[in-house]
Amino acid sequence: MVANITELTTIIAEDRFLDDPPLLKSFAQDASLVAPLRPRYVTRPETVEQVQALVQWAMRTKTPLVPVSSKGPHRYGDTVPSVAEAVIVDLTGMNAIKRIDRRNRIAVIEPGVTYAELIPALAGEGLKISHPLQPRANKSVVASLLERQPTLIPRLNYSLPEPLRNCGVVWGTGEVAFTGEAGNGPLSLDEQWTRGQSQLAAWGPNATDLMRLVTGAQGTMGIVVWASVKLDLLPVVRKVFTIAAADIAQVTDCVYKLTKVGLGDEVFVLNRARLSQMVEAQAGRRAALAAALPEWTLVVGLSGAALLPQQRLAVQEKELRALAQEFSLTVGEGYPGVSRTDLTAMLDGFCRPDERAHQDIFFLSTLDKVAGHVASVQSVALRYGYPVADMEIYVQPQHQGVSHHVEFRLPYDAADARQAAMMEVVYHTASDKLIEEGAYFSRPYGYWSELVYGRDRNSAEILRTVKGILDPENILNPGKLCF
Amino acid sequence: MSIEDFRADAMRCSRCAYCKWMPLDLMKSWRFSKGCPSIEYGNFHSYSAGGRLITALSLMDGRSTVTDKVRDTVFMCNMCGSCDVSCKICRYDMEPLQAMRELRVKLVEEGHLPAALAKCVESLKTNHNMLGAPKERRGDWAKTLGIKDLSREKAKVVFHAGCRYSFDGEQSGVARTAVAILKKAGVDFGIFGATESCCGGRSYGMGLNDPVKHCAETNLAKWHAAGVETVVTPCADCYYAFKRLYPQVAGSQIKVLHMVELVEQLVRDGQLKLTKPVTMKVTYHDPCHLGRQGEDYVPWNGKEKKIFGQAVCYDPPRPRYNGAFGVYEAPRSLLQSIPGVELVEMERNREAAWCCGAGGGAREAYPKFSQWTAGERIEEAEATGADALVSACPWCEKNFSDSVRHGGHKLKVFDILQLVEQAL
Amino acid sequence: MEISRDAYRAIEDIVGPEFVTDDPALLDSYAFQYLAELIRPEHSHFMPRPWAVVMPRTTKEVQAVTRLANKYKIKIKPISTGWYHWAAPLKDNEPTLQLDLRRMNRILDFDEKNRFAVVEPYVICAQLQAEVMKHGLNINITGAGSSCSIVASACAYFGAGPSSFSMGNNSDNLLGQEWVTPAGEIVRTGSVSSGAGWFCSEGPGPSVRGITRGYLGSRGGLGTYTKCAIKLADWPGPASLEVKGRPPGYRLPVPENFRVYTIGAPDWDSFAECYYGIYDNTLGYIFHRQFNLAGADLATALWLTYIDPTKTLNDVETAAADPEIKAINEKARISFQLILAAHSSDGIELQDKILDEILTATGCYKVERYCDKDMAEFTNMYLQRMGHKHCNFIWAGGYMGSWMQAGKPDWVKTYVPTAIETFKNDQDSGLLVQCGGDALMGCGSTLAGGGYYGFEQFVSYDPADIKSVKACVKHMEDAVVTCREKGIPYGKEYLYLQVAWPDEAVWNALARAPQTFVFDFQRKIKEAFDPNGLGDRNYPWLPEGWGKSAASAQKE
Ligand code: SF4
Ligand code: SF4
Repeated sequence: MVANITELTTIIAEDRFLDDPPLLKSFAQDASLVAPLRPRYVTRPETVEQVQALVQWAMRTKTPLVPVSSKGPHRYGDTVPSVAEAVIVDLTGMNAIKRIDRRNRIAVIEPGVTYAELIPALAGEGLKISHPLQPRANKSVVASLLERQPTLIPRLNYSLPEPLRNCGVVWGTGEVAFTGEAGNGPLSLDEQWTRGQSQLAAWGPNATDLMRLVTGAQGTMGIVVWASVKLDLLPVVRKVFTIAAADIAQVTDCVYKLTKVGLGDEVFVLNRARLSQMVEAQAGRRAALAAALPEWTLVVGLSGAALLPQQRLAVQEKELRALAQEFSLTVGEGYPGVSRTDLTAMLDGFCRPDERAHQDIFFLSTLDKVAGHVASVQSVALRYGYPVADMEIYVQPQHQGVSHHVEFRLPYDAADARQAAMMEVVYHTASDKLIEEGAYFSRPYGYWSELVYGRDRNSAEILRTVKGILDPENILNPGKLCF
Repeated sequence: MSIEDFRADAMRCSRCAYCKWMPLDLMKSWRFSKGCPSIEYGNFHSYSAGGRLITALSLMDGRSTVTDKVRDTVFMCNMCGSCDVSCKICRYDMEPLQAMRELRVKLVEEGHLPAALAKCVESLKTNHNMLGAPKERRGDWAKTLGIKDLSREKAKVVFHAGCRYSFDGEQSGVARTAVAILKKAGVDFGIFGATESCCGGRSYGMGLNDPVKHCAETNLAKWHAAGVETVVTPCADCYYAFKRLYPQVAGSQIKVLHMVELVEQLVRDGQLKLTKPVTMKVTYHDPCHLGRQGEDYVPWNGKEKKIFGQAVCYDPPRPRYNGAFGVYEAPRSLLQSIPGVELVEMERNREAAWCCGAGGGAREAYPKFSQWTAGERIEEAEATGADALVSACPWCEKNFSDSVRHGGHKLKVFDILQLVEQAL
Repeated sequence: MEISRDAYRAIEDIVGPEFVTDDPALLDSYAFQYLAELIRPEHSHFMPRPWAVVMPRTTKEVQAVTRLANKYKIKIKPISTGWYHWAAPLKDNEPTLQLDLRRMNRILDFDEKNRFAVVEPYVICAQLQAEVMKHGLNINITGAGSSCSIVASACAYFGAGPSSFSMGNNSDNLLGQEWVTPAGEIVRTGSVSSGAGWFCSEGPGPSVRGITRGYLGSRGGLGTYTKCAIKLADWPGPASLEVKGRPPGYRLPVPENFRVYTIGAPDWDSFAECYYGIYDNTLGYIFHRQFNLAGADLATALWLTYIDPTKTLNDVETAAADPEIKAINEKARISFQLILAAHSSDGIELQDKILDEILTATGCYKVERYCDKDMAEFTNMYLQRMGHKHCNFIWAGGYMGSWMQAGKPDWVKTYVPTAIETFKNDQDSGLLVQCGGDALMGCGSTLAGGGYYGFEQFVSYDPADIKSVKACVKHMEDAVVTCREKGIPYGKEYLYLQVAWPDEAVWNALARAPQTFVFDFQRKIKEAFDPNGLGDRNYPWLPEGWGKSAASAQKE
């Protein structure tokens, strides 16, 4: 059925349903290999009530909705409609930071709030959020956390969805209900605040963990209209260290130990291409810088906040040096061409606009398997003629070092049909190989969803049951995941 | 005492199941973490101390009746007291072990004594021993040793060999060793030989009240007549009977020593010198009745009282038997004083020791269970890397030896006195 | 109430005849449960009796028994270590198989590097802790103590304890589950379901675990968890706990890189300030308010008596009257235990300095007597191993936890005076242990990293004295009324009481919740995964449309 918006216009003004072709086109495709498809409208609701009305209308009219919280460019195909005549629910306008509670270190934000907005606002209160490595400045914090993008500080990643705590959700049933602790209280944040209730505890309500059902869901279960996020103190002193290695296996045990003992804030590993890409603004200089860098760098950020921050930093630095020594590793503070300032900027900065297209392959694994994954992807690259030196690799300990986000970024020239075709083969072949060797595509975008749910029919079946309950009309981003 | 006296304990059981485990604080591994052989073998909750409290309540309240299965749950237990120690860590004044025995008494009174145990009791009655052996042969082990016979002579110390050491040919060497040690140390002692009678302790554990009382009265009378002030025994079961039960059932005031206590004292005082090296790595098994159940008897005749409204305590204060003050150090110190002996501990030691499996009539009534229990201990001993498992009770040693033999283990089993003898 | 012979025979064929019973006395040992006397007719100590008890050994056996239960329409009620009245069948005359999982007792995998273990339901915390400590690792032992099942705390029930402040709640530490649904399907969640190993509990895509591992878990009401993977924490202490002393007050020496303190506060405001200080400064390997479970009036007298193996509870009476002990007790009245740990001497010294600054700033202090070697070592033992959990019952054999609303510290301090006053009033009858109105115990945080906690009132009563039992019930009801009147969410006592309610009453209560979405969701999940209704309302639901109009009028 063609979406008929007239019955909605008392709630959402007609002029907030946009269908000018360039706009529609901008939502029809992203940087992934997912097939393009034009939506019917883009709409920009501003309130929970409007989102709810939209969902209820979509249920009645069987209109597919694709929720989008970040401004582009999108990368993974999750915001590209999979079925025709979809309405894009553009939530970027719902961008209020509703509350920052310094004492309890929790903030409540709307989905349109970006990292570029949130980080300085928090800093103003002496707070910070553990965020992904160089997020897009316009990336929605809520979307990033819902998609379980890895965050930089494994110590604070008590569970994979951290620092996401509670969500307000307009479910695919047309109902509004809060997740977690907030699900126990009145259906109004203001009322909850008046009662002294926080939105801290992620579990629940009751025997269900509703938040867990909207994470990793690509907007297929409900539309999140607010979220609470856990915060930490903004450091007053800080140092970033580098530990060089010729082979990732050399730093593996060190990373294990760092995350085991919870030493350090940011802990992650980059290969030379990725490090160079991140610190060198001039594209033309990157290859040379990369060539001069060690093959791998373990980055460790230390900081001090609260009481005795300087002494905290000093003790941590001493412990870090002792720990590195256990593994015969040397602790440095950068390299020629990678200054201390570059390193701090890398941790705090936003990513630059892409100069080249790139295909990302990322998944979760355990650290002991990472060297094998690297070898596999390199062998696939070699086989199909992809320049291995261009391959950017990033390994991020998650869940306090129990799981690791492993990311291969393969820049290529999308305009070159031969390269694009090669990339598609590399992407598929590498993904196939990786999954065989135990890579866990926990965020199965695009091609991966077939791969993952094809092997895991059990999860697919249960998720379809859950989807049938939470989105009975299958209006929320249909065609994604296993739906 | 009767099971009714433990109704409150049953109602106060928190079903925490601590009684199934060794004291949690002391746990060192998955493999050797269990405390109760009965629940490990029988599995249903009723095979635990807590479960038996519930069975008692259920039977008292007429909710259920004694079936064969129920009888098994009640008697397939070593009465080892591990549960009692673990329970009392938190449930300070609960008495699960006593309650379980009273439950046995109830079943026995109602005619549910397992047949194998009935045979033992019959043997006790007719032959004054638990082994079904003719009473005339009781003194055979000592016939040629020329020891004072206290049925005719007098001595301040009586050596009580006990049923196993008296009758079991494979084991009676230990009794001979014991008396040799006593002689060497110059102790003035005697024995009753063929007229020695069972201590009665095992029948008590099986759930009978009268035999132990009878044994106590008979033995005490004989001892008094012979001028005995101290009874010494190498058997942990006898030790427990004399030390804990006789005062209770017959007002005994006689001094009771286990051979390890006496020998350790003699070594400490320099009356015995252990000089010959015995090069051996050994681990020591605490017999339940010498270890956690070997605490001194404290007479008490009082009643429950409440303080702070509802907190339960006793008037006068009731003695606590929780294994805190069992005989643990004497055997260890004795072993360590033997040159060449390296003592290593099993994970479950002292009050947390795993039972040998021979207690509570289990050896007689549930031999498979009993042997399984022993086998568990053998594995634990082997895990220490010891060459030998040393104990201080003939029942433990018998069960272990059987288990070692059947299981084809290399581990040697000794009574502690055998090592002392080698070192003399 | 007998199970059909056909069904019984079929179960025997699955698990072996020695692992199933329907002997009434044996069944009674499962019907007897903690708290039963507070809610059962005539204060019976027995919950409804299961019709048979079955002990499967493998997941396949659990599945086969579950399928059979579907065929014969018999409810199933799994227990692992099995504690609480709701672990037993909830209703009389309802055919129920109790699945006692004690034979599923293996540690299936231990991955030292990736810091997880895979365990079956009857592995208890103390066992796993002892094993992983050998490798410098630890587990978060929940408040229920180390005699309890890890699977239960990670998959099926609340998962917080004294170490959750640093190690997280076991719901956070859960890395994957194996679940036999009431319909008899075997489900695995997270990475293991993708064949990638047990290291991640989320995804692929949305996390299936979300349908059961909520706040309390499904408590045996929605099938059986047959294994789970649990994340392990760092253990900077020795490879084996070298415990000293005699029972019951075992002691654990405090290593050089540890500190064990009891911190006192002059009032609840200072307590909260001190809490925020500790929270902001991320101090605390273990953070717990433990000893007050004995009641603020008697705690010092009890614990100093307890650690002396020559004493008895009678000595508490004398001790409580001793002016010196009274003085200590006043210092410790509003107090909590804090264990610090570090990997270097610099690290621990710095933590000490930071703590001292917090104490100075907030007017809080170390309670000296509790920090003396004997008490510190006992505290260390108690909280590291959690092997004294059932001291909860020490006074009279009965303990019921009321209150326990959790939230941010600033909020918790607002309900504390009410909780104290209500309890104190109920003690006046002399039918509850008169230990002071503040018998509030609780972990420093139920959430990893801190910032969220709640206190549970330890109500001690005598289960063998019906008057005392009734007084406890009265206290529960008083607490509910007080909460209602003061607009405080209901505490644990409300959940306990509900066990006795008819379905309709429970549904009416659920329908009055401010948000009922989840109960409708759970109904649909139940319809999908438990078509024959084998699970009970420990996984609660609202019948379709139940109380919708009435409830919306009444919503608070
Ligand atoms: S340890 Fe004691 S209180 Fe706990 S279940 Fe066993 S007998 Fe009952
Ligand atoms: S006495 Fe021993 S075998 Fe019997 S229940 Fe207690 S621990 Fe188990």
